Amino acid sequence: MIVARKGIGSRIGQALRWTVFIVTGVLLNLPIIMTLMTSFKTMADINTSPPPLIFTPTLDNYREVLAGGNTDLLSYILNSVVIAGGGALLAIALTFPAAYAMVRHEVGKSWLLPLITNLRAVPLIIFAIPIYLMYQLAGLLDTWTGMILIECVINIPVALVLFVGFIQDIPEEMDAAAKIDGASSLRTLWHVIFPLSRPILLAVLILSFVYGWNEFLFGLILTTRQAVPVTVGATFFVTTYGVKWGATAAAMTLGIVPPLILGLFAYPYIGKSMLTGAVKG
Amino acid sequence: MAGQRVGVRAKEQADARYFLVALCLFLALMLGFPALANLWYSFSNFSFRDLTGGSFAGLANYKQAIGNPGLWSALGFSLRFGLICAAIELALGLALVFVLHPLLARRPWLTGILMLPMMVSPALMGVMYRLILNEFTGVIPAYLQILGWPINFLGKNNVYYTVIGIEILQWTPFAFLILLTARQSIPMELEEAAAVDGAIGARLNALVILPNMIPTIIIVGFIRFIDSFRVFDHIYVLTGGGPGNTTTSLSIYIYKLFFNQNVLGEAVAVSIMLLVASLTLLFAGLRLAVRTRAR
Repeated sequence: MIVARKGIGSRIGQALRWTVFIVTGVLLNLPIIMTLMTSFKTMADINTSPPPLIFTPTLDNYREVLAGGNTDLLSYILNSVVIAGGGALLAIALTFPAAYAMVRHEVGKSWLLPLITNLRAVPLIIFAIPIYLMYQLAGLLDTWTGMILIECVINIPVALVLFVGFIQDIPEEMDAAAKIDGASSLRTLWHVIFPLSRPILLAVLILSFVYGWNEFLFGLILTTRQAVPVTVGATFFVTTYGVKWGATAAAMTLGIVPPLILGLFAYPYIGKSMLTGAVKG
Repeated sequence: MAGQRVGVRAKEQADARYFLVALCLFLALMLGFPALANLWYSFSNFSFRDLTGGSFAGLANYKQAIGNPGLWSALGFSLRFGLICAAIELALGLALVFVLHPLLARRPWLTGILMLPMMVSPALMGVMYRLILNEFTGVIPAYLQILGWPINFLGKNNVYYTVIGIEILQWTPFAFLILLTARQSIPMELEEAAAVDGAIGARLNALVILPNMIPTIIIVGFIRFIDSFRVFDHIYVLTGGGPGNTTTSLSIYIYKLFFNQNVLGEAVAVSIMLLVASLTLLFAGLRLAVRTRAR
């Protein structure tokens, strides 16, 4: 009966599915596609109405924002790389051993794990004010260190949940063998669990980097000149570069491309990581 | 012998506690201390010049916060925004799963294309929409003009719907991805058994597939509501909360109180109330999730 349905009806059905897929894909990605196109257009093409879909691409806009000398875009990008990278590595260093202890030794699993996973659902603005005041007293405003610390906080729930889930799936016989040889917990963690966890470590590194890169609120509040990340810096273009749409589009593109590319590698984990906060605990 | 083993276990457990020390200290410093400071500040009249305290002010900050009509309109916006976005994202996500599941089951890499918006920083997404929706130079209004449908997305009357639309376009992929995963984990045997009983097509979806996805639907709806409720980034860069306060969410409201209007005590009091409210909601939500799973 099911086989019999493979006629003209199913072919129309298939065509409809493809149509829905293409329309949805274009609609959802429209701002990305349009911004990408604008960034390769000349001033004349941008001001043409209706906007041309086919045009001779130019790199002028990128040259202007990167080498023009009157924008700080390169330093914003550098800041984002340092902040997102540092925040991701610090979060891994703090949560990986903790996840191991929680899974294998049942320490803190009943209270600390749910407490941390729920953090993800609390509106960040609540902590923005006291952290701003604390940073002011500690001299951490507008510094890489301050931004790395806060990105680390933001990444901790996701990193911890993904690590706990992964280590739970490692068969316990693997570290039992090390134990019989008299290895301590630390040695077991370093020589057995760590090498086995390489795929999840890479996924958490990528995801945390992407979240750190995309973060906006704390960048807005805690930085002014020296440590401004690209998400905040790129918004300056809209006000100061009001008329230069091409340059603004090029700045946007540079701000969104790194997470887009990294995200494609880690996308099987994206769904899992975003469920953090309501599923576990 | 047994006693010795228990002893070893206890010692291991004690050792393992050291693995948590760094994490706990870090969180106490970065979140615990600020939360306590917040609590103290909310009961005192402090200023940028006197950050270490000021004097005890009782409930004055809270009274001022509750008496401000701006709070209630921001709360109303956030609740409506969260509910509308979560509901529409769920509906669209489900519809897409039912239509696209057969297509994507054989070509999983296609899913990646629909996931791209999720990887974009919401702030930059807002800026990009600001560029392409601009009344004079935006690409979208220009094309719509040709089609004889002139519309100013960022104008006073439409911007409310525009910020909702942007949130939905960026996060429907999330609802879709999670629901698709749930759909794909429904065993083939179940579908075959249902087909033998005559349930195919829409009947299969409504009677067999949908009921099996209900726990996931609840969880996705809950997460999307929480995330939309605390929205800040794309609205801030698009409208700054305006015109007036028509798009001021709670997060933007607190930000403005503190950084623009400098009413520090009131801002802190609002954020403490928000913390308490969100923790209450979280525990209620968790209860619900646990009950649904237990069923």
